[in-house]
Amino acid sequence: MITDIAPAPERVETRPTRPHGRRRAWDEVPRWHIYLPLSIYLLFTLIPFYWILLFALRPAGSTSLVPWPMTFDHFGKVWNERAFGTYFQNSVLVGIATLVMTTLVALAGGYALARFDFRIKKAFMLALLCTQFVPGALLLVPLFEIFANLRMINSLGSVIIAETVFQLPLSMILISGFIRNVPYSLEEAAWVDGCNRFTAFRIVVLPLLRPGLIAVGSFAFVHAWNHFLFALMFLSDQSKQTIPVGLNTLMSADSVDLGALAAGGIIAAVPVVIVFAFIQKWLITGFSAGAVKG
Amino acid sequence: MTHLRSKRLPAPRTSPHNVTAPLDPEEESRPMKTSIRNRRSRRAAIAVALGSVLALTATACGDDGSGSAGDKGNEGSGKGEITFWDNNGGVRTDIWKQIIADFEKKNPDIKVNYVGIPAASAQSKYDTAIQGGGLPDVGGVGTAMLAEVAVQGALEPLDSRLAKSSLNGELSEKLLDSSRAAGGGKALYQIPTSSNNGVLWYRTDLFQKAGLEAPTTWSKFYAAADKLTNKGKNQFGFTIRGGEGSIAPALDAAYSQSGVTSFWNGDKTTVNDPKVVAALEKYVALYKKDTPSADVNNDFTKMVAQWDSGTIGMLSHNLGSYQDHLKALGADRFRGLPNPTLDDGKRVQISNPVDGMSVFKSSKNKAAAWKFVEFAVSHEENSKFNRSAGQIPANTEAAQDAWIQKAEPTKLAAEALNGSDTTIVQLPYYLPDWNTISKADNEPNFQKVLLGKMTAKAFLDTLADQLNKAQADWKQNH
Repeated sequence: MITDIAPAPERVETRPTRPHGRRRAWDEVPRWHIYLPLSIYLLFTLIPFYWILLFALRPAGSTSLVPWPMTFDHFGKVWNERAFGTYFQNSVLVGIATLVMTTLVALAGGYALARFDFRIKKAFMLALLCTQFVPGALLLVPLFEIFANLRMINSLGSVIIAETVFQLPLSMILISGFIRNVPYSLEEAAWVDGCNRFTAFRIVVLPLLRPGLIAVGSFAFVHAWNHFLFALMFLSDQSKQTIPVGLNTLMSADSVDLGALAAGGIIAAVPVVIVFAFIQKWLITGFSAGAVKG
Repeated sequence: MTHLRSKRLPAPRTSPHNVTAPLDPEEESRPMKTSIRNRRSRRAAIAVALGSVLALTATACGDDGSGSAGDKGNEGSGKGEITFWDNNGGVRTDIWKQIIADFEKKNPDIKVNYVGIPAASAQSKYDTAIQGGGLPDVGGVGTAMLAEVAVQGALEPLDSRLAKSSLNGELSEKLLDSSRAAGGGKALYQIPTSSNNGVLWYRTDLFQKAGLEAPTTWSKFYAAADKLTNKGKNQFGFTIRGGEGSIAPALDAAYSQSGVTSFWNGDKTTVNDPKVVAALEKYVALYKKDTPSADVNNDFTKMVAQWDSGTIGMLSHNLGSYQDHLKALGADRFRGLPNPTLDDGKRVQISNPVDGMSVFKSSKNKAAAWKFVEFAVSHEENSKFNRSAGQIPANTEAAQDAWIQKAEPTKLAAEALNGSDTTIVQLPYYLPDWNTISKADNEPNFQKVLLGKMTAKAFLDTLADQLNKAQADWKQNH
């Protein structure tokens, strides 16, 4: 008995052809179409940095376009004569303290926003967003009065608290987004295993938040590092001032020492560049994760 | 959903130890527990240390910032600590610290706390302290901001103190007049320390090469600007200030060429007088013809930097940039002259800001603060300060010192400022709105004039309207 066997259906190529075509088209694009615009863009970005390096490294009065003969006199001047060593220490302290306080408080607030429902939650989120539209300069006088009543004028603590307060809303919103991305069932499983809420959070959720925490922490650090206004207004003693204020004192009413200013700018920029070089991988992951389900 | 989830399974209150507890706790849990306990105590120690550091940082050495505009302060014992704010901190820090050291040596029972404030932020720092507290006992207040600080009632009138002081008769009358006028005319709120003056800096090597005479008159200035310009080689005769701070130099050039000698004609300003308009049109016509096109955004920093880089013949700035030129060009390649005169030698110039010291009403130790002012403006100290700053001393004896005779730009500027052939057009620094009118309101308009989008007449008419209104308001309140 012969049984007709239906022929096996032809294997249909299910993979869409377009991406392949696209890839081929992409491969056919001459390399210079990609590299030329990128190089031009890179030049625009890097030339100002080269200019700062040039002013910082060439001797005063030189008009050479290359930093040769090279001198480190400007760095010595700002570090030793213009107290940049002290400003640097203060900026590091303000930056790290702001980072720690912002991250800790934002973590607690962000967890509450992500995991609990409460009556004014939407209004609270809206209020957090609205605070982003208020410039710091508007709040200077009230903040000054508060710190004066607390006897905190001319203390680094005033700057740290003010910076933390201004960083918190955005940090809380971001961290609540990161926490929402962590499945709630993971925490529940930890509870079943005997953890309380805090321990479950610490052992299960916190390690998963690392990219987000790095993103928020570095954002807080860089903002505190660069911020000028609060340090200028709340600190008077030269031994307590920070790098942005120090940079401004290099520009007098009628004269600017460009070499010293460039050297001071490099001293101010290097820590931030180093921080970003180390954390950029987590930073991008962190911000994109927070952006998906904010 | 979150609500439901959070209710679905309440978080247990049990200890977390059993999360990692092994099956036989007797044998296997001890090292684990010890390790967890150690880790916990280490973390707790770190947390406590961190908390302590933050708490100490937050409260360490702070003060209450007392002293706002409403405080009446008091005379004090003339001993103890006072705080001095330097309104041009940074560049002047070293010289002020020397003066303070000299003062404390002479007055061992007074200690002066120095606070250097960046020049660009001095006004906002004073304004915040006036509103919120934290004013110093004594501070540097230039005439450009004197009116705004005085009008808020923050400054101590100094006329009677000066009358009884050893400084009486020792200070330049012209500068005292400027200080008095800038404070509103009724009282003296500032003891002048120094004056700046407009200077036309020019490159002697380029002038010599082109066979040009020194630009002492406006005719010679325009001729040199034309002859030194060679756009193909990126060489220009002049650099104009088109960005931040452009109004005062533009008015200086316009009044100086027009021969108009007063800022007010009755209650109306003369800034839109036809002669001033014509002079400004001629000056503005230099833009792009004999100047780089980027000048439209020039603040003094860019202007000085591009002049010092060596392709521009002349620069109109003030004495303050002397050290920058010296460093960049060396002493032999440039000179600084007072701004040009009319062909008949008649010199008209606008009043330049006068720097000085003020005592704050809220000070709890005005006697010591005044002692410091007296000391800082005395012959020796005022000479030392101005030699360092490259400015004209307010102390008349200091103005005769040998160093000023050797510093040509300062000497010529002092002669121009005090010369009998010079007429000074007093700008209305006393108007509380002067800074707003001369900066935020009209600098963008001056850029439009340079770019040909607004006529010089329309620009000056707008400026005149604002000034006339501000003057009328001021008169109503005084």
